[in-house]
Amino acid sequence: MASEEEINLLVIVVDVNPIWWGQQAQRATELTLSKCLDAVMVLGNSHMAMSRTNKLSVIASHFEDSHFLYPGKSWRMGDSCGDDASSSGDGKYELLAVANNLIAEEIRKVMSKTEVRGNSTDTLLAGTLAKALCYINRVSKEFEVGQEIKSRILVIKAAEDCARQYMNFMNVIFAAQKQNILIDACVLDSDSGLLQQACDITGGLYLKIPQKVALAQYLLWVFLPDSEQRSQLVLPPPAHVDYRAACFCHRNLIEIGYVCSVCLSIFCNFSPICTTCETAFKIQLPQMVKPKKKKLKQPT
Amino acid sequence: MDEEPERTKRWEGGYERTWEVLKEDESGSLKATVEEILFQSKRKRVTESHGQVRLGMMRHLHLVVDCSRSMEDQDLKPNRLTASLKLIETFVEEYFDQNPISQLGIITTKNKRAEKLTDLAGNPKKHIVALKKAVDTVCLGEPSLYNSLHLAIQTLKHMPGHTSREILVILSSLTTCDPANICELIKTLKSLKVRVSVIGLSAEVRVCTVLTRETGGSYHVILDESHFKELLMLHVKPPPASSSSECSLIRMGFPQHIIASLTDQEAKPSFSMSHLDSSSGADLSLGGYFCPQCHAKYTELPVECKVCGLTLVSAPHLARSFHHLFPLQAFTESPTEQLQKDRFCQACQGELKDKSIFSCPSCCSVFCVECDLFIHDSLHCCPC
Repeated sequence: MASEEEINLLVIVVDVNPIWWGQQAQRATELTLSKCLDAVMVLGNSHMAMSRTNKLSVIASHFEDSHFLYPGKSWRMGDSCGDDASSSGDGKYELLAVANNLIAEEIRKVMSKTEVRGNSTDTLLAGTLAKALCYINRVSKEFEVGQEIKSRILVIKAAEDCARQYMNFMNVIFAAQKQNILIDACVLDSDSGLLQQACDITGGLYLKIPQKVALAQYLLWVFLPDSEQRSQLVLPPPAHVDYRAACFCHRNLIEIGYVCSVCLSIFCNFSPICTTCETAFKIQLPQMVKPKKKKLKQPT
Repeated sequence: MDEEPERTKRWEGGYERTWEVLKEDESGSLKATVEEILFQSKRKRVTESHGQVRLGMMRHLHLVVDCSRSMEDQDLKPNRLTASLKLIETFVEEYFDQNPISQLGIITTKNKRAEKLTDLAGNPKKHIVALKKAVDTVCLGEPSLYNSLHLAIQTLKHMPGHTSREILVILSSLTTCDPANICELIKTLKSLKVRVSVIGLSAEVRVCTVLTRETGGSYHVILDESHFKELLMLHVKPPPASSSSECSLIRMGFPQHIIASLTDQEAKPSFSMSHLDSSSGADLSLGGYFCPQCHAKYTELPVECKVCGLTLVSAPHLARSFHHLFPLQAFTESPTEQLQKDRFCQACQGELKDKSIFSCPSCCSVFCVECDLFIHDSLHCCPC
């Protein structure tokens, strides 16, 4: 019997690059990774407490990999791991207690086991979002026909953008837009152009947090209400998204450019050969105009 | 469909023993065979990519819809015209989704004449509104293939050389009434490098076979409504570009989206150029896209500026077509029993219940059938 209530699925993607968080700890700011995860757990618990049919999933995005923190694989294999956690003494809703413990355990495993190579603060954000979309796709197929499932993804981003992931990122954004999945972004440190475009195209919210200590407050205020309730609230105004393209030769943002018709690469100046696909272009020469012979007046 | 006259028609060949495909197992149930057939049909959708073939990205497509008396036939419910128009609406949306910088125009033909329903434009809304109104048209007379092709050529021949010129005809009648020799028109089409494809709703007609063979298009006849949809969707993907199309650098503008509020001192209200022609919607508004060359305002992109002729697009529109240029490799299939590790799909974290698994050649991660389909249809990038 299909219930009439619709199901809201919230997927939280957390950026856990250890180098960035380590640099944060060295600068002795108040926000550490454990406090950030506390705030995420608060948001997750509140989301699940809003309605019985709400669902949650948390994914951690690492340097070259991404891991599902909740629901974990062991959750389905049997409830043996969940038994000791379910007898929590403070009378908390069992699902929330289990979820919190599972997230804490998994993140401990992820941080201790994954080895870090290199020095950069990038994370595999495009890949993580792709995994989130595959998960949403599977979950929506598991329900009966007639039960609507509405999903959204919340990205908590710490470090800067990685330009290498541009194309994968755009593919993921268009796939999300087609499936009507909102992508919200909560940026801790520096503005991210890619996430601004993602939020604009899919219809989500973009917020750069002014005070990192109050992360939990911002999460609850801005990102807890779902899309229908957002129209009735006064939320931060949409950011001005710069949609200008960057030319392939200098990486400058240009307003008027030349686009190769074969490979769609953008150039700021006309050049006879496209550097990406190496096709020679036909240059349109101006037509030769024969100068009109003027009759010279004979000097008399 | 047989396109060369030498191939035998289907009724001339021997019998096909279709009952031999179904095999029973020991208990007499057909479950295994049915699952196998379903699995194969799922896999059929992941078609092979063309590889390193140049594709025609900027397309100018004319859609010719037959509105003659044969469209009132009720073999497609409720009648052929309504069913076709509904499927064409879906086609228009998918077309602009996959080819954002292309243009589409619609022509109808009935009563031995052809007329334009909508001009060549890059905005899907106009076409969908026109299609919704066209459901009420009366179908009468005979279609005219010559007139509709002639009308389409009038606009297509002025298009620049680097775009691909295509015509898609949806023909339901078995006859056509032409004022002149259609073979001459076929020669003109070939010289103008226009590719004509036909989807027939009744049966194979020889003139369409010749037309599509000479111009390099495809000809299919539908079996039922879902087959009709499949055939229409085949034309959404950009076709391989012909070797004679020129490649050139196209000058385009990338306007900024200005969002201004009433409290902003410098914001001035202005008319949008795209609404000046229509009687409704000519309102003053504050924000919009301003052409970088002449500062005319538009409300939506992509559009060709009416004042200075510059094509205006935004960077995500170009990015939508990138997955055609860099297609994702097909994943390698292998039986599930060979997997020694835990049986979990690495994309959706679900159990691997099907009989074969798919692995990405570059990162060797394992996916289930559903994720493989999803990745190749919509995502176009590997999650790992």
